[in-house]
Amino acid sequence: MTNKQKPTIVWFQAITCNGNTHSLLSANSARLELFLNSFDLIYHPSLTVDKTLEDILNQKEKIDYLLVEGAISSNKDIFALKNSTTNDLLNKLALKANYIIAVGSCACYGGIHKKFEEDKTISGIKENINEKILKNLKHEIINLNGCPVHPEWILQTLFTLKAYGKISLDKEKRPIELYSTLAHHGCTRNEYFEWKIEGSFGEKEGCLFYEQGCRGPMTHSSCNKILWNDISSKTRVGMPCIGCTENDFPRNDMLETKKNIGIPQDVPLGISKRAYLSLTGIAKTFKIDRLNKKLME
Amino acid sequence: MKTIDLVERIEGEAKLSCSWKNGVICDASIDFLNFRGFEYILKGKSPLDALVYTPRICGICGQAHLKASVEALEDIYKNLNEPLTLTPKSLLLREIGLNIEIIDSHIKWFYMFIMPDIVKLQNSDLGIYTPLKGSRWLEASKTASETIKGLALIGGQWPHTSYMIPGGVMSDPTLLELTSIQNYMDYAIRFFENSISGVDFDTYLSFSNIKDLDLLKGDLEYFKNIAITNSLQKLGTSHDRFISLASSSLFDEGIIRQRTAYKIDLGKIKESSEHTFSLNKEENNSSKTTWSKSVSYNNSFFETGPLSRALISKESNRKFIKELHKQYNDSAMVRVLARMDELAHLLESTKNLISKVDISEESFIKPKYSLKDIENGQGKAVVEACRGSLYHNVIIQNGKIKNYDVITPTVWNLGPKNKNENGVAQEAIIGSPNIEIAKIILRSFDVCSVCTTH
Repeated sequence: MTNKQKPTIVWFQAITCNGNTHSLLSANSARLELFLNSFDLIYHPSLTVDKTLEDILNQKEKIDYLLVEGAISSNKDIFALKNSTTNDLLNKLALKANYIIAVGSCACYGGIHKKFEEDKTISGIKENINEKILKNLKHEIINLNGCPVHPEWILQTLFTLKAYGKISLDKEKRPIELYSTLAHHGCTRNEYFEWKIEGSFGEKEGCLFYEQGCRGPMTHSSCNKILWNDISSKTRVGMPCIGCTENDFPRNDMLETKKNIGIPQDVPLGISKRAYLSLTGIAKTFKIDRLNKKLME
Repeated sequence: MKTIDLVERIEGEAKLSCSWKNGVICDASIDFLNFRGFEYILKGKSPLDALVYTPRICGICGQAHLKASVEALEDIYKNLNEPLTLTPKSLLLREIGLNIEIIDSHIKWFYMFIMPDIVKLQNSDLGIYTPLKGSRWLEASKTASETIKGLALIGGQWPHTSYMIPGGVMSDPTLLELTSIQNYMDYAIRFFENSISGVDFDTYLSFSNIKDLDLLKGDLEYFKNIAITNSLQKLGTSHDRFISLASSSLFDEGIIRQRTAYKIDLGKIKESSEHTFSLNKEENNSSKTTWSKSVSYNNSFFETGPLSRALISKESNRKFIKELHKQYNDSAMVRVLARMDELAHLLESTKNLISKVDISEESFIKPKYSLKDIENGQGKAVVEACRGSLYHNVIIQNGKIKNYDVITPTVWNLGPKNKNENGVAQEAIIGSPNIEIAKIILRSFDVCSVCTTH
C-alpha cells in the first residue's frame, strides 16, 4: 500500500460546533486533494469509514499528527463521547501522538464553550494533557487559533511539519508565519483607516475600526492576506474583524467600538494612545475628496 | 434482546439503543450525551453579541441561526411599535446567503453521510464514493466548496460570519460579484445534471409523476435502485405528520396532519424536558436519557425538513415529491429524494433571487436606537434551515439578554418520546431488520448532534 509511507492523521472532535471541519472541507479543492494524497487521514468522526475511534484507541502504531477540534472537559455528566470524558480520550490519543495541533479557538483555549460556566472544567487541550505526555512529543503543541481556523493554516502547518519536522511559534504558540501580521494587513479599507474616515455597515467605503468594533489593527491573523474561500474576507465585505484568533475571543460587545470620551479604548497594536490621537488629529485635517465619495459613482 | 450502537458520521455522535423481537427492531431510543449550553451562555450578553454566538451553535447551519437571531432582534423593535425598515436588497441578500448554506449542506449530506452507507449495502468496495479518495466524493466536496464561495462574497467567509444585523446586512456586493455568485450556482447546477440526477436540469425540474423516477440517471438512480432492493421505500416511515414554520421564496409555512393547513400558531409549540438530563444532578433519574428536549405542536410530534417543505409547498413544481409521497409515504427513500429534490429547486430559486437584487438600494438602515437602550423586550423568529424549522425566542431586560430559547429542527425530528407517542426518528427506526438499515433511516433525517443539544 502506498499509504504506508504517508504520515497518519487522526482528527479528534471534542466540544465543538464542527466549524473547523467544515472550514477544512471548504478549502481550495486542489489543495484539499493534494492534502488527502499526501497524508493518510485515518480517522475523522464525520468523514472516514474504515476505522472507528475505538480502533484508533486500540492500535499500537503511533499517530503522526493528532489534530484536535473543540474544547475539553473532564465532566462526564455534561459531555460524553464513547462513554468517556473528552479529557480522558484526549490523553489516550495524545499518548500515541508525535505532533499535536489544536485546530481552532476552542481547542486552543476553550473558546466560545468556555463561556458555559456551568461546566467549570472546560478549557483548551494544553491544560488537559498530562505533563509527562507533553515531554514525549516531538514538538510542543501548536495552536491554530481562529473561530474557525482558515483551512490553509491547517494545510500549511501540516505540509511544513512534514517537510521540516518543526515550525516556529509565537508566544501564543501559533505559527509565526501565519500569525505575525495583523488582520489589518491586506484590508482593502486601509486607506480609510490611514485618513481616519469612518465607515458604516452596508457600505464598501470607510473603516470599521472607529464605530463597528473592528479588531483588524490588533488581531494577529492572515485573513486578508490569503483570503477566505479563496476570494473574500469579513472586512472586505463590510463585517468588522471580531478578533477570533486571539485568546480573549469571544469578548463582549464585539460589533461596536468601545470608547472613552469618544476615543477608541483600544488603539492599534504598538502605538501609544497619545501618539495615536495626535496622528488622528493631523490625518483628519486632510479632506481627501476621493475618499469621501462613493467608490463607484 | 437489546443492542447499543454509537453512531458516528453524523454531525457529532448519537447513542442508538435498540430492542429486538423476531429479528426486527421493536423499540429504539436515540440519545445524545453531550451538551454545550448555548442558552446559558447567551444569558447576560449584549443583544448584538448573539449574532456572533448563535452561528457557532453549528458549523454547518450557522447562517440559519444568524438569520433567526437577527430577525428575533428585529421582532423586538416591532413589538415595541418601532418596526425597522429593511430594503428588498438586504432581505434578498439574507435569503440568498441562507440558501447557499443549505445547498452546501445538502450536497455534503448526500455524499458524506448517505451514499457510503447505501453503497455498502451492496458492495464492500465503495468505489468512486469512497470518502476522501473516491472521485465522486472529491467532486462533490469540490462542488460544495465552489458553491459556498457565493456566500463568502456576501458574508466575507464561511463558516461563521455575522453579516446580517438589525436593519439589514453589512455587505454591499457589486454587480460583478452578483454575477460570480450566479456562476457558482451554475457550477452546482452542472454537477446536479451530470452527476446527481444524470438528466438535464430543466427536465429534472419538470418531474411531476411517479414514473419520472425511472428517468433518473446518475447517483440518484444508483441510490434509488439500492434503496428499493433493500426496501427503503417501505422502511423508515414515521407519523406522516409534517411541519414547516417559516415561509420564504421557495418554502411555505404550514402543517400536514391528514390535510394541509397553511397557518402556524407559534403559541402551540411546546418544549418538554421529560426525558432530558438536567444540569441539576439531583433531578436526573432513569427516565432521563438524553440532552435533547422534545418539541410538539398542538401536543403532537411533527417531522420537519425538506420532505415536510416539499409536501407543504404550494408550488406545483414540487409535485414529484408529492407524488412519491403518495406512493411511498414518509419512507427513508422519499426522505432522501426530497432533500436532493430541494437542492435542485433551491439552485433554481436562488439564481432567480440573485437576479432580483437591485444594487442601488441601501444594504443597511440604522435603527433609531440601540437594543442596549431597551428595558424590556421580546422577539421571536422562525427560519427554514437545512434540516428543517428553526425557532429563536429572545427576551431582553435592561439592555441585556435575559433569556434565549432555541428550538432546532433536529429537536423536532430526533427528540425523545413523550407519554403519547414515539419521537419522529424513533418511530421511523422501529421495524428495521438490521442495524445498518436502522442507521440509514436515522441518517435520512440529517442528524446533527450539536444542533440537537446545543
